[in-house]
Amino acid sequence: MTVLATRGLSRRFGGLVAVDDVSFDVHAGMIKALIGPNGAGKSTLFNLLTGFDRPDAGDISFLGASILGWAPHRVVRAGIARTFQNTQLFDEMTVAENVLVGMHTCLRAGFAEGSLRLPATKASERAAVEQACRLLRLVGADRFADSPGADVPHGVRRLVEIARALASNPKLLLLDEPAAGLNNAETHALATCLRRIQADGTTILIVEHDMGLVMEISDEIIVLDRGRKIAEGPPLLIQKDAAVIEAYLGEVIADA
Amino acid sequence: MSSSELLQFLISGLQSGAIYALVGLGFTLVYASTGIINFAQGEFFMLGGVLAVAGVRIGLPLPLAIVAAVVISAGVGVAMERIALRPRRDSGALVLIIITIGVSMVLKSVARHAFGPNEMALPAFTPGPPVLLLGAAIDRQVLWIWGLTLVAVIGLTLLYTRTRLGRAMRATSLSHDAARLMGIDTAGVVMISFGLAAALGALGGAAVAPLTQTAFDAGARAGLKGFAAAILGGLGNPIAAVLGGLVLGVLESLSVAFISSTYKDAISLVLLLAVLFLRPQGLLGKSGREKV
Amino acid sequence: MSRRLVGTIAPVLAVMVVLALPLVTTDRYLFKVLTFVGLNLIVVAGLALLFGYAGQISLGHAAFFGIGAYTVGYLTADGAVPWLIATLAATVLAALVGFTLALPMLRLKGHYLGMATLGFSEIMTVLFVEARGITGGNDGLRGIPYPVLGPFKIATPGGVYLLVWITAIIVLVLAGNLVRTRPGRALRALHGAELGAQACGIDTGRLRVQVFALSAGLAGLAGALYASSVGYVSPTTFSLEFSVLLVAMIVLGGTGSIAGPVAACVGLTLLPYVDALIPGLPREAVSFLQDWEADIAGIVMILVLLFAPGGVAGLIRSMTRAGDSR
Repeated sequence: MTVLATRGLSRRFGGLVAVDDVSFDVHAGMIKALIGPNGAGKSTLFNLLTGFDRPDAGDISFLGASILGWAPHRVVRAGIARTFQNTQLFDEMTVAENVLVGMHTCLRAGFAEGSLRLPATKASERAAVEQACRLLRLVGADRFADSPGADVPHGVRRLVEIARALASNPKLLLLDEPAAGLNNAETHALATCLRRIQADGTTILIVEHDMGLVMEISDEIIVLDRGRKIAEGPPLLIQKDAAVIEAYLGEVIADA
Repeated sequence: MSSSELLQFLISGLQSGAIYALVGLGFTLVYASTGIINFAQGEFFMLGGVLAVAGVRIGLPLPLAIVAAVVISAGVGVAMERIALRPRRDSGALVLIIITIGVSMVLKSVARHAFGPNEMALPAFTPGPPVLLLGAAIDRQVLWIWGLTLVAVIGLTLLYTRTRLGRAMRATSLSHDAARLMGIDTAGVVMISFGLAAALGALGGAAVAPLTQTAFDAGARAGLKGFAAAILGGLGNPIAAVLGGLVLGVLESLSVAFISSTYKDAISLVLLLAVLFLRPQGLLGKSGREKV
Repeated sequence: MSRRLVGTIAPVLAVMVVLALPLVTTDRYLFKVLTFVGLNLIVVAGLALLFGYAGQISLGHAAFFGIGAYTVGYLTADGAVPWLIATLAATVLAALVGFTLALPMLRLKGHYLGMATLGFSEIMTVLFVEARGITGGNDGLRGIPYPVLGPFKIATPGGVYLLVWITAIIVLVLAGNLVRTRPGRALRALHGAELGAQACGIDTGRLRVQVFALSAGLAGLAGALYASSVGYVSPTTFSLEFSVLLVAMIVLGGTGSIAGPVAACVGLTLLPYVDALIPGLPREAVSFLQDWEADIAGIVMILVLLFAPGGVAGLIRSMTRAGDSR
C-alpha cells in the first residue's frame, strides 16, 4: 500500500529551483531515506510534505487523498508527524511536557473541559503522562523527562523531537537529520529505536547524512541533487549508481 | 463646499500631516537601526512641547527654549537607549516593547509631576495675522511647521546620503553584523538614531504647541498617529514616512470635512488598523519581506 | 514540608481568609479596595493566559473592561435587563469584540500586535466619550443598580466584595486548571516555538483567536462587575494607563505562571490604597503613592525586565530550585 505519493512536486525561490519535478512513493511499513548533498532541497521537500510550505506545482497524496495546501496542523491530524533539522523544542517546558504537547491531536480537552478538569479529563491526562514516559523510554531520553527543554544536550533534543512526533500516533514519521550530533553508540541506539518504531507499524521517511545509518536501516533510498531526483532504489543499488556516486556518495565514501 | 473651504481643510491636513511625519520619521529611524518600534516615541513629541513651554516660563527667549527642549529630549532618547534598552538588546520583541512602554509611562508621569496636569500653550514663533492664500487663511505657525519639517527632511536626507554617519546608519539598518565587520560602530549608530528620533518628535511637539496647546498626556495619540504615518509609508523608509504623514493628515482633515469631526481621531486610527491588517508592509513597501 | 503540599495548602488558606473576612470586619473602605483587587484579578487571569502563557501582548484590555462596564450600565439602567443576564451579555460582547479583533490580528506579531491593540484601545476611548447615546459621554453613566441575584440584592460593600472575590476565585481556579491540561500546554507551546507547535498538530491561528477572545471576555466580565458594584462608569477609567498597569502586573508576576501575576496584581492594586490595610499610615504617604502609581508601575516594569525577567514567579522558581539542589 502506498502511504505517501508525490507527483511533479516543484518549489522555486526567486530564480532558484529548490525542488524540481520530484515524484516518489513511500510504501507502508518501510523506512525510506532521502539523501543528497547540502542544498539539494531535502528540507524544502519536507516542508512541502508537511504543509509548512506550498509547492508551486505538483501534488501530494497521503493514503490516497490529496493533502495539497493543507495547513501543518491538519497534516499532523491526518497522520504525518515530523521533526526539524533545527530542533523546535519548547525550551521552557519539561521534556515530558514537550511530548505531552505532541499528544495534542490524540487528546480531546478544549478550553472548557481543561478548565473544569472533569474526572474524564484527569484520567486522560494521567494516561497521556504514562504514554509520554513510554515514548521517552522508547527513544532513550527518559532520564531527561523532568528537565526543561532548554537544558537538554543537543543530540537528545532530536530524540525528544522524535518522541514528540510519535506522540501524535502518526502513520508516517518524517525525520530531518535525527542522528546529527549523536556519537557512535547513540547512533546505534537510534537505529534500534527506528527499527522498533517501524515494527510498531509506523512508516518512516528520513533525511540523514550519516551514510552508515542510512545504509543500515533503510529499505529504499531517494537521492536528490540540486532539487532533482537522480536515483531511487534499495541501498545496494544506490551505492553502485554512477550518477549518485558522482553527485554525492563518491566524496563520502572517499572521505570514509 | 467652496473651493476655499476645501483648501482650508487641505491646509489643516497638511499641517497635522507634517507633525505626524516628524513623529513618524522618529519611528522609522529607530526601526531602521534596531528593528524596535519605540512605543515611547510619542512621549518625545510631548516633551518637546512641555519643555519649550517650561523654558519660556523660566524666562528663556522662545528660540532658545525650543532648542533646549529639542536637545534635552534628544538626551532623554539617548539615555533611554543606553540605560533601558541596550542591556536587553538581544531579548525578544516582547521584552523590548514592554521596556519602551514602561519608559513611555514613566516619561508621561514625570512630566505630569514636573509640569502639572493642565494644558499649556507656547507663544507663536512669529505673531501676526494669518497669511491669506486663494481665500484660505494660513496661520503663520503653520508656515513654521512646514518650514521646520522641510528642513528636517532635507537635513535627514543629506545626513543619509552625504555623510559617513548616514552611510553607517544605512549599513546598520541592512545588517548589524555586516556593518560591524565593516568597522562601523553599530552601538553608536543605534544611540544616535534614538537621539535623532527623539529630537524630531520633540521638534514636532514644540512646533505644534502654539496651535493646539500641549499637556503631559499628549504623547500617546501623537505616537499612534506618527506610527500610522510610518506604517502607511512602509516602515524603514524616511521619505515614505513623510508621505505617509501628509496623506494621513489630509485624509483625517477631509474626514472632518465630509464625515464627522467627532470621530476624527477614531477615523485615522481605523485607517491605521486597516493598513496593519491589510498591508503591514505599508502602501509603498515591498511585499514579502516579513519582519513582523 | 514539600513544595507540592505548600502549593495545595497556600491557595486553600488564602481562599478561607478571603471568604471569612466579612465575618471579622465591616470596614467599608477595606471592602471597596479589596473589591478592586478582585476585579483586577479577573482581568489578570485572562491576561496571564494571553500574555504570560501564549506570549501575545495586548495594550487594549482596559477597553474590553470598558465594554463590559458600559454594557452593564446601559442594559441595567432602570432595571431594564436583569443583572445576571446583563453581566453575561457584557462578557459575551467583550469576547465577541475580542474575537473580531483577533481574526485580522492573526497576521501580526510582536510590535505590530502591540500597536494594533493600542490603536484599538484609543478607538474605544474615542467611542466611550463620543457615543453619548449609550455611554453618556464625558459624564459617563450614573445610578447603575447593584447586582441582584434572584431574590437577593447585593448592596453592601461586604456583599459586593464577596461576589467579586468568589467570581475571581472561580476564574483563577479554572485558569489554573487550564494551564495544566491540553489547551494550556498548547498555549505555552505556541509561545515557545510556533513551528514546533504546528508540527504537534496545534492550530496556532485558532488558538491565538481563542485565547484573545477568552481574555477579552474575562476583562469584560470584570468591567461588568465593576459597573454594578461601583454604580457609575466614566471614560477616564478605561484609559491606556489601566491597560499598561495590567501588563505591568503580568511582567512583575512573571510569564508562564498564574500565581505570580496574582501576587503582583494584589501588590500593585493595593499599593495606592495601603492605608486600607495599615490604618495608621500618614495621609501624605498615601497620597504620594497614589500620585506616583504610574511611575512606580513603569519603573517596576523596566527594572523587572532588566534585572529579573522571570518576575516574581521566576524568582520563586530559582529559589526553590536552589533549595532543591542543596
